[in-house]
Amino acid sequence: MSIIQVNNLRKSFGTNEVLKGIDLTIAKSEVVVIMGPSGSGKSTLLRCLNFLEEPTEGVIRIGEFQVVTGGKANRKRKTEIRELRKRTGFVFQSFNLFPHKTAIENVMEGPIIIHGTKLEEARILAKALLTKVGLGDRCDYYPAQLSGGQQQRVAIARSLALNPMVMLYDEPTSALDPELVKEVLQVIKDLAREGMTMIIVTHEMSFAKEVADRVIFMDKGVIVEQGTSEEIFLKPKEERTRQFLSIVE
Amino acid sequence: MDVTIIIDSLPSLLKATLMTILLAAISIIIALVIGFFAAIARILKVRILHGIATAYVSIIRGTPLLVQIFVIYYGLPQIGISLDPISSGVVALSLNAGAYLSESFRASILAVDNGQMEASLSMGMTYSQALRRIILPQSLRIAIPTLSNTFIVLIKDTSLVSVITVTELLQMSSLIIAKTFEPLTIYLLAAAIYWMLITFFTTILDKLEVRTSKYLVR
Repeated sequence: MSIIQVNNLRKSFGTNEVLKGIDLTIAKSEVVVIMGPSGSGKSTLLRCLNFLEEPTEGVIRIGEFQVVTGGKANRKRKTEIRELRKRTGFVFQSFNLFPHKTAIENVMEGPIIIHGTKLEEARILAKALLTKVGLGDRCDYYPAQLSGGQQQRVAIARSLALNPMVMLYDEPTSALDPELVKEVLQVIKDLAREGMTMIIVTHEMSFAKEVADRVIFMDKGVIVEQGTSEEIFLKPKEERTRQFLSIVE
Repeated sequence: MDVTIIIDSLPSLLKATLMTILLAAISIIIALVIGFFAAIARILKVRILHGIATAYVSIIRGTPLLVQIFVIYYGLPQIGISLDPISSGVVALSLNAGAYLSESFRASILAVDNGQMEASLSMGMTYSQALRRIILPQSLRIAIPTLSNTFIVLIKDTSLVSVITVTELLQMSSLIIAKTFEPLTIYLLAAAIYWMLITFFTTILDKLEVRTSKYLVR
């Protein structure tokens, strides 16, 4: 069974319709890369999956958990949205680490607050996750003392700490100096190899070729075409895709 | 200038300083509570509370403290609310400082990057968990410099309460001058005491600012 199911997702900001009816099915352990020009709605799509943007219309299911959009903002609905968020990890372009907490405290925060994990258990879990992203020796550093690449890896560890069913990445390397991009992509590749389901919005073409099971090309709020990275990059069917690729490459 | 006058009047002045500290301390605590909740009510846009908080801030900031003191001490008894001078002073001072603090708090909460709230919510935190654990600790650091301004003004403003017969530092100075006819000596002495008080509190707040900023070191 698919792990993510999106039906007829629409999102408008005022009169500006940014997503015009997206349908999307993602299988367990699938790695999907979303590409497209700026303003194509790719980031908005990702943010809608986590309800950081409230969709105007549509149905989102993650795992067994389904939220119909456009409902009233009552207590029951807030709980539903929170449950959905607990099942998804979200990685931001600007990291958004908690600056007043050390790396390990950042990673412990979720388990303690969301899952009610005991302090010592949370510390062991956080330490293991930081080691996994190659930062076992940076546990007690504050975000301001870490490089951008290190901060983004802490942010990934922080999301993993909640044991999500799917990881969402919103241009995870766009705010990084070129020499720091690799270390972050390596962590994402490792997760792909372990079978983590992931949706990644990125402009990193070679990375997409390497890890993506499927590449989705979006423009003007619709999915223009999708397929394996080979199909999209080497033999794009749509003119708009070809245009975009010729500019990016 | 006679040194014996200083020595003779110092005990009375110091005793009156205790009243100044008491007025300031109680008012600061109440003002912090009022200011915090007024700020939260305005940020969360809680329907009725938001209107009340906005009106409160506007009225207090738009009228002189001296007028507020007179309204509370001389005006309210007319509708059956009689407060003694000290209580009137505390009410006026804390309502006044509370309005300014609520603006400081509001600005400092809004100054925390929106990504912090998004990151918290995306993990599945509730709004109030995010506010408590992530946003407020960061906004406190931002707020401290403006808090310390409000504290300084509040300590000075306690002198206005002398007009409703509270025997704090300024009132005591005037009483001593009536007996000794040494206005320059005594007022300078009072000024020195205010200066020491304020320096003491600002030093504490500066230390607190350094301590809460330690995570910003690179």
